Amino acid sequence: MIALIFDGVLAVTLVALAWRVLAAPDAFEAVVVFITLGLLMALAWGRLAAPDIALAEAAVGAGLTGVLLLDTLGALPHGSPPAQAAAHAEIRGRGWPARVATGLLATTLGAAVLSLEPRPSLLAGQVSAHLGQSGVSHPVTAVLLNFRGYDTWLELGVLLIAIIGVLALRGSTRLSGETLARPPAVLAWLIRVLTPLILMVAGYLLWLGKHAAGGAFQAGVVLGAAGVLLWLAGWHPVAREWLWKVLWVIGFLGFIAAGLGQLLAGANWLEYPPETAATFILCLELGAAISIGATLAGLFIALHFPPRENLSGGPNERRP
Amino acid sequence: MIEQNQIYGIAAVLLFCVGLHGVATRPEMVRKVIALNIMGAGVFLFLISVAWQGARAPADPVPQAMVLTGIVVAVSASAFALGLVRRLAGLAEESAAEHGESPAAPPKEDPK
Amino acid sequence: MSMILPVLLPLVGALLAFIGTRRIGAVGAMAFAVATLGASVLLTVELWHGGPQLHMLGGWPAPLGIALVADGLSAMMLLMTAVVGVFISGYALAYFQGEASQRFFWPLWMFLWSGLNALYLSADVFNLYVVLEISGLAAVALAALGGSRPALVAALRYLIAAMVAALAYLFGVALLYAEYGVLDLEALGALAAPGLATTVAIALMMLGLAVKTALFPLHFWLPPAHAAAPAPVSAALSALVIKASFYLMLRLWFGVFDGVVTFGAGQLLGALGAAAILWGSFQALRQRRLKLLIAHSTVGQIGYLFLIFPLVSVPRVDGVSAPWVVEAWAGGMFQVLSHGFAKAALFLAAGVILRATASDQLTSMRDLAGRLPATTFAFALAGVSLIGLPPSGGFVAKWMLLKAIFASGQWWWAPVVVLGSLLTAGYVFMLLRFAFKPANGPLDLKPVSKVMQVIPLLLALIAVLIGLNVEGPLRLLEIGPLTPFLPQGGGR
Repeated sequence: MIALIFDGVLAVTLVALAWRVLAAPDAFEAVVVFITLGLLMALAWGRLAAPDIALAEAAVGAGLTGVLLLDTLGALPHGSPPAQAAAHAEIRGRGWPARVATGLLATTLGAAVLSLEPRPSLLAGQVSAHLGQSGVSHPVTAVLLNFRGYDTWLELGVLLIAIIGVLALRGSTRLSGETLARPPAVLAWLIRVLTPLILMVAGYLLWLGKHAAGGAFQAGVVLGAAGVLLWLAGWHPVAREWLWKVLWVIGFLGFIAAGLGQLLAGANWLEYPPETAATFILCLELGAAISIGATLAGLFIALHFPPRENLSGGPNERRP
Repeated sequence: MIEQNQIYGIAAVLLFCVGLHGVATRPEMVRKVIALNIMGAGVFLFLISVAWQGARAPADPVPQAMVLTGIVVAVSASAFALGLVRRLAGLAEESAAEHGESPAAPPKEDPK
Repeated sequence: MSMILPVLLPLVGALLAFIGTRRIGAVGAMAFAVATLGASVLLTVELWHGGPQLHMLGGWPAPLGIALVADGLSAMMLLMTAVVGVFISGYALAYFQGEASQRFFWPLWMFLWSGLNALYLSADVFNLYVVLEISGLAAVALAALGGSRPALVAALRYLIAAMVAALAYLFGVALLYAEYGVLDLEALGALAAPGLATTVAIALMMLGLAVKTALFPLHFWLPPAHAAAPAPVSAALSALVIKASFYLMLRLWFGVFDGVVTFGAGQLLGALGAAAILWGSFQALRQRRLKLLIAHSTVGQIGYLFLIFPLVSVPRVDGVSAPWVVEAWAGGMFQVLSHGFAKAALFLAAGVILRATASDQLTSMRDLAGRLPATTFAFALAGVSLIGLPPSGGFVAKWMLLKAIFASGQWWWAPVVVLGSLLTAGYVFMLLRFAFKPANGPLDLKPVSKVMQVIPLLLALIAVLIGLNVEGPLRLLEIGPLTPFLPQGGGR
């Protein structure tokens, strides 16, 4: 009973925070509340027996997205707070049709959700049944890397598309970054201490995914955070353009190599023989973690630092 | 007696709708991107609540895997959206500088 | 084995283009484009002789794993995408020659193509979400390549609309999984039954896909985005990308939720399609800028596709489909094909004109007939197909639709089809009128490569000639359980 009350309070808080995010006149406040929302969301997912997803949400959904948002807001010139508040008041005045429509939608969706009856999951049973052949003992990892590995492969593709798109906006594939010419001593020392620690945590998370909550995504996010830290502090361990490209591509390429290998051996795409499945998965996860980390770091760096070269405007087709 | 996952299911629906309302009504682009993320959070929360099997059984791994994939997709799209927003702001600055004016606050709102 | 190739080959081309130098990337991607056409043809041939194809990814049978499935409808979409894709690629080689955006166009375009192919082959609703995001994000990134302020604003609006649509679709998927516990299309089809959660799920998914297909009134994002993009991108967006989400609507409506969707719901989709035909064509008539005209024309032509729904969502009698169902499917799919080729031709031809005259206004298109005869001819041929004049594919489409409309007794769609053709004729002739006007003074036309002039003509020719062979596509469509034309084909 107490648990239910806790869940009820948490659920209400989530919705209230979401409302505040969108109703707040000041954009910075909105982002901060959004980050808080993300962290509480992770808590809710922990309550719902999804700890590894909660980890990923806290790191990516709240952490990285929040950082990107704050960074973007910082780069945009913004109007003065009174002007923003006035703009918001004007918005709140009109717009009742939207509210009515949303209310109707919420009612319909809510009714549909409540009409769902709890039933034992068919697929969960199948996953358990075949877990032994999958090469790992953690069900989520088995689903992600084996049973539905095709989805994971394609989603690495989505990451690639995002980084290519962002680079296209900059007009250059070279990541530049004039940052602190000489980082302050404290920061330098912190980086020196933290970086090996972060790499260790990432490696541990990666290895952990075999039998517990963890895996390529969580490890990749941690790596990405390390990459951003290093870059901001002025250390550019990976300054070569081609090296960045290799890091971005290696996860995706790993899946292609595994898939092709199996195809040519007469099996299906991304089908691993049960004896060697564990090795396949570990290698694929390693590549995926590296790519996810490099891409997330690359996205932040590419967004934060404009390219050194002067951008020529753009296209051939100028609108008159 | 309402179940734990039903509570979160309703919260998920509300998050989805609040987010959708935000996308539709807030003119600032960054706010729309945030609202999109809230919509996504709603869908993911719903999926996690579907995965929850209570005390009967361990959680269903398939929806959890779906959410993990969804998170990566969402951050990719958000990053690109923010890139577009920044580039638009940058273009406005460049053109204002060309015309010799001090860069006014560029319309980071949705010019309808 | 060959089922994964249409997805894999463009991806390899994309990686090559991303990692390699500009020239190697472009040429390599082009090579893989041709290879993808080959793979699509190969798959179609295997389908023709061997029936529907299945590939269990990871070796796991659905619903535990994800399955790739190909039937006649998938093959038709794959082929169209491949042929149009190869032409667009060839055009793009010339178009982006020496430009900075070339190194970004090729990886994004190959990713988009791969996403489209993956969509036509996927048989898993969540995998379809991932694939929708691939094609959607790649399409937006391509649209933003225009670089100008209108292009970026339009791309941002497109992205937000696409994200909302994808999330609505995903919510629907979540509801379906909560209700039925499976993600596989065939398994869902066997289990689907009327119910609140199911109805809401279908509504959410169809709503999301309708936004992606720019069905009226959710079409607002399309004209600016398609108009401001570089010409090869506009062609890909209008001819190929919106057909993908439409295909998914067909697949879900008739393939999975066959027993759940109602006659009334079909009428609703048809009504929106009718509104799209009238509104889109009318708006096209009002445009004074070339690419905006063509983009609004897309909104209008998409409307014809949605006439399939009311005509086919008719209850079966004794397990046999109504007789006009054949003509309705034929009409709809011929519209998909002919519009794909014709619209690609139009946008690529517009690209030639923009390159030559550096202006988007219709009024500066004077004497194009004399200076760029191939391009003008391409416009004319594509226009023939759009209006629906014999023997073009567009004619077959409208003719078949009208036959089905009258046979089914749903006569109220007929005036819309006729009026749509009239409006289309209006803006096509308006376009051509400008091209045939004599020039005011000496025209200063920049040179445009021959390749760029010939390709739109070839595409327009295909759009016109495709109407000559109705039998072939129909027989291809029959393969698979989705379109049981023959009485003994039976229901599900």
